[in-house]
Amino acid sequence: MANVIGRSIVIDGEITGDEDLVIQGTVKGKIALKESLYVENSGEVEADIETQNVEISGSVTGNIRASEKVEIKSDGRMVGDIKAPRILIADGAVFKGNVDMDR
Amino acid sequence: MADTNTIIGESILVKGNLEGDEDLTVQGRVEGSINLTRTIIIEPGGVIKAEVSVANAIVSGVMVGNISATDSVELTETGRMLGDIQAPRVIINEGALFKGQVDMGDLEMARSRVSKTAQSSYQPSYTKSPAPTRPANRPVARPEPPKPQEQKPKVTPKPAPKPTPKPATPPKKPAVVAVAGASKRSKKKVILKKKKRR
Amino acid sequence: MAAEPPGVIGRGISIRGNLSGGGDLIIEGTVEGQISLKNHLTIEETGVVRADIEAERLTIKGEASGNIVASERVAVMANAKVMGDIKAPVVIVEDGAGFKGNIDMNVELPDGVL
Repeated sequence: MANVIGRSIVIDGEITGDEDLVIQGTVKGKIALKESLYVENSGEVEADIETQNVEISGSVTGNIRASEKVEIKSDGRMVGDIKAPRILIADGAVFKGNVDMDR
Repeated sequence: MADTNTIIGESILVKGNLEGDEDLTVQGRVEGSINLTRTIIIEPGGVIKAEVSVANAIVSGVMVGNISATDSVELTETGRMLGDIQAPRVIINEGALFKGQVDMGDLEMARSRVSKTAQSSYQPSYTKSPAPTRPANRPVARPEPPKPQEQKPKVTPKPAPKPTPKPATPPKKPAVVAVAGASKRSKKKVILKKKKRR
Repeated sequence: MAAEPPGVIGRGISIRGNLSGGGDLIIEGTVEGQISLKNHLTIEETGVVRADIEAERLTIKGEASGNIVASERVAVMANAKVMGDIKAPVVIVEDGAGFKGNIDMNVELPDGVL
């Protein structure tokens, strides 16, 4: 079953794991995943993130380090630094921070 | 040892110590202490205010005091109990009311799987030990049939088998997310996975 | 708003910290800290929770340690292991469950018993 942190759930702390994670609610703290993180429209993340892939349609504040790819979709909002080999920022996305694509 | 069942009828009040090797059904009232090697049944309407030490207890009436049972204690839907229970098997049915301590012996809890800090070095150290030592489907004790009496030793949880270390997590298919827009996402994921394999 | 599907914290996920909010939630992974949920929380067989829990309804099939307060009901299912105190109007403990702690259901005895 997919991991979903639902709309009305608030987590304050650390999330670790080796599965994909979908965030529709609020997460503050730290996220460390071996797979992909999806921050959906309603999702609000205030955390440092370490994963393989991140896809942002909601809002993220914090630094991201991804081993593969970070994608900020057109309705995504992101404040913080990104370090990843591939970074996609869609037209309409809001982003403030540094980008580091060093491998 | 007779295979009899003592009944303390509705209008009977017993004060003092009650001991025996047969089943006891209480429809009236007992105050003091009860020591049985068999089963006590407190029927609806029955009231016990006593320290109770038995093999099995079935509470459908009112029980005030502590029960120590070598096998099981069951509170049925009409049971009311104030006091502590010590027994390897404790069953509380919906509708029963209970306030007190329950002690089924030591539980083997899984060790924490949360790493000290949320770091990418996270390793699943899933070490939950196999099923509990208590068989779940043993029928709840009923008064009959008579069994040869054998004194059960106090419950000592069997040492659990060594937790088998889980092999490294197998390569995982991306979980299909069951929310709107899932199809879009899973398509994207497949692409990502392809990239990974190169 | 239509009833949302329950949130799921899967087997591979561990959470340390506070978890709060509304909506139903299923825990298959590990949670350490504190949980305060407005609706129904289910701890599945693989779930391990070390937290004080507040919820409306709680169903435990896995492991839970910590104190539990539920406004409606707590069910400790057959293979669950629970350590801690439970306070709820309805508490069910199935045969085969392991439990150690206090249960407080607010017992009212018939008149004249004590």
